[in-house]
Amino acid sequence: MSESTDNIAPEATPEEINASCRWPVMFLFFSAALWLVKAAIIGVMGSVKLHMPEFLSDISFLTYGHLQANAWVAFLFGFGGNAGLGLTLWMLSRLRGAPLARPGFVIAGTVLWNVGVTAALVGITLGDQNGVAGLELPVYAGRVLLIGQAFIAFSAILTYFSRRHKQLYPSTWYLIGALVALPWIVGTAHWLLAAAPVRGAAQIPVGHWATTSLLQVWLGCLGLAAVLYFIPKIIGRELFSRQWAAFGFWMLLLLGGWVNLNSGSPLPVWQIKLSQFANGLFIFVVIAVGWNLRQTARGVPLLGSENLTLKFMGFAGGAWVVSGLFTFCNVFPEWNAILQFTYANTALRHLFAWGFFAMAMLGGIYYVAPRLLGADLDWPCGRTVRWVYRLIAVGVIIITLTGVGMAWGHGQALQQIGVDATTLQTKAIKPMRFAIFGEILFMVSSFIFLGSLLCLLSRNCCGELSPMALWRQIREAKIEGKTEGGAQ
Amino acid sequence: MNKAPWVFLGVLFTLSLSWWAMVYGPALQLAGQSADKGDGTAVLPRVGLAKQGEQVYRENGCYYCHTRTATGGEFGYELRLSQLGGDREVTDEVLGAIISEGDENDRLINLAFEFKYVVTAKKALDDANKALTDAKEKTPELKDAVVVAKENLSNKTASFEKVNSDITGDITAQDEKDTILFRAYGLSGVEIKDKALMIQLGMGEQIIDEHRKIANEAIIKLTDGKAQWVDIEGMVRGLKTRAGAQFKLQPVAIDWPDVQNGVALRQSVTRDFMHDAHAMPGVMRLGPNLANAGGTTALADSNQFYVHLYQPRLINEKSAMPPYRYLFRKIKVNAGETSPKNALKIKGKDLVAGYAVIPTEKAEALFEFLKSLRTDALPEAPIVDNPKPADDQ
Repeated sequence: MSESTDNIAPEATPEEINASCRWPVMFLFFSAALWLVKAAIIGVMGSVKLHMPEFLSDISFLTYGHLQANAWVAFLFGFGGNAGLGLTLWMLSRLRGAPLARPGFVIAGTVLWNVGVTAALVGITLGDQNGVAGLELPVYAGRVLLIGQAFIAFSAILTYFSRRHKQLYPSTWYLIGALVALPWIVGTAHWLLAAAPVRGAAQIPVGHWATTSLLQVWLGCLGLAAVLYFIPKIIGRELFSRQWAAFGFWMLLLLGGWVNLNSGSPLPVWQIKLSQFANGLFIFVVIAVGWNLRQTARGVPLLGSENLTLKFMGFAGGAWVVSGLFTFCNVFPEWNAILQFTYANTALRHLFAWGFFAMAMLGGIYYVAPRLLGADLDWPCGRTVRWVYRLIAVGVIIITLTGVGMAWGHGQALQQIGVDATTLQTKAIKPMRFAIFGEILFMVSSFIFLGSLLCLLSRNCCGELSPMALWRQIREAKIEGKTEGGAQ
Repeated sequence: MNKAPWVFLGVLFTLSLSWWAMVYGPALQLAGQSADKGDGTAVLPRVGLAKQGEQVYRENGCYYCHTRTATGGEFGYELRLSQLGGDREVTDEVLGAIISEGDENDRLINLAFEFKYVVTAKKALDDANKALTDAKEKTPELKDAVVVAKENLSNKTASFEKVNSDITGDITAQDEKDTILFRAYGLSGVEIKDKALMIQLGMGEQIIDEHRKIANEAIIKLTDGKAQWVDIEGMVRGLKTRAGAQFKLQPVAIDWPDVQNGVALRQSVTRDFMHDAHAMPGVMRLGPNLANAGGTTALADSNQFYVHLYQPRLINEKSAMPPYRYLFRKIKVNAGETSPKNALKIKGKDLVAGYAVIPTEKAEALFEFLKSLRTDALPEAPIVDNPKPADDQ
């Protein structure tokens, strides 16, 4: 965030930048909020099916497998893509001190992107998924997504080169990483898993690389870019160490695609050992990023802060560190052997997706959205948005603790000899009996967030005529009436 | 780190490292994988309904609740000697402390070598006789050679009878005696066709099928299935390179839950997925692992499977599996009419009174696909012995 004055164009004001980003980025944010609601609803529907097998069982496109795949695609590409790209554009503009270039391309790209996600969900519903759990894009949806992202990336590249800076802030590295990683990963998955699938077993490492890279590298870069940007910005400090940030960035890119391969995968041993080695090295990424954040915010209680964005970012940073530690634990084959076929993997994905990524994105949107719409505009119901933070935080804690803890019992039962199938099934479902409460909290929080965003938009559009303002006026009038009545 | 193009190139390079290792490398290695099992057979692709069934399995997202991956476990080696080499001394040296003098296996090996000696002596006699017959001039040396060979065979036969008598002398049951004799015969690796000699050795005029089976299946278990490779490496190499013996290394489960729980016969390997259109190793073991579904009794009865698919709780009232009724057709059966043959039955009656519930082609395809999932032996993944508790005692 350091500034330079030599031979560079004058920096645009925040108001100019916000004005340039206003509609394209708000379009992305609003789409993200909609997809988050969809992802959460579909996720809860899927979980309900595990507890009530008869629930919607006569509808062929609402099997648990379809719902799980749809929930994840809606979250990953629907929410993650829209929110991530929206924040990318805004942060790039602010970091470069230049207005967003070619916003029309962003809007076109967003339309295409959302068409791609919709096509993916429809395709999965119709049974066109590619069978790679975690990245089940049908062949046609992948193409549309890639084109949509290209449109948005074009605007990002033009924005970047529209003004020179002497120094790139670390968040910019992460944003560049995310912009490069997405087409590479989705492109690889598209060609090698859907369009022209590689042979049989080779799909397993390819699928693993793509799903892990999307999570660790793409979402990781987007989320960490936001965390590293907003925490120093809000507490008014410089990032503790650029060197630590650089080390963490390159190590994340290097190791992100290797980690978390199950020790029992039917693959050559060298791949499993290589992945275990990468899991071990991942501790350096955790240390580099975690230490940098800790030193930057030293003495500042992030989670106890009054600033909601800081709370979001603090929780996101913490969840990322915890998630990284779980990744490191996979260096021990005994650990992985117990948890590999249990609910723990899903629980840890929730920790990463909701605890880290969603928190970072929602925190960013909470900060950015009102600024985009007007200098003196704020969230209509600021306290309501706090519930988004609280509900997701509680949901993540419930899912992580019960998901990993009880899945451990299931994993141990799988490792024992002579445990009957019914007992195994009971132990397998047990963590999900509790985790569904976490998912319900996610769903409620996503509704609140969407509602808050709608209120913000309506306040921007209608001012004192917005539904919330009218409601407030009615309430105030009633209170005044009562007070006057009481006085008489 | 201040120029985006350099960061861009760095990102490309760094990402490419994991891409090469996890995408390009495996794709290259596994693309060239051969279907040949090495014994004249091959890993065959699925055809017909089973192939369609893979798509049904994928479409319905079955891989979220079922894995097709049997994991590895702790095992030991049972070293099974199936045929002795030619040199007794080297064999004794290689086997070392495994065989104690006078124990059952030692006596069996003694008898097997006696078979070898007799056959060698018989061959020497046949050669000497042939040389004498073929010679134009019957020299005394040739005649002496025949005499010496005869005497040698006589000595070897006597030695054989003595060893055999020492071993089986105390045994009264003839079938037990025969078992020892033919096990030794099988282990010797020789073949005796001379009827007179066979009678002399106590084998009868002709080897009956039962005895041939004993000979063919004869092995000596040199280790108990708990030995680790480091313990037996020297012996294995000695048997192979010095003693010229034939043997098999049989893995035996020590702590291998997937094998001992009957989930699979061995660990899953890449070739189990080589012909899959979409490799689906599975996410969670919410339901049973299907790695060896086709090799279990669960799919032996198609009606049982279809009933389970139609309403799992009719088979297991605590089942968490949702019913897949949309994979079946329900046809009204009027009074006096009989249901089609493939209508689902429970306790001999139609599953739904007044209706015939018939599996659609998709349900049949799914059944065929599951039947095709097997963990048969592969050279890189031999079937693992699962010792029953009684074997441990």
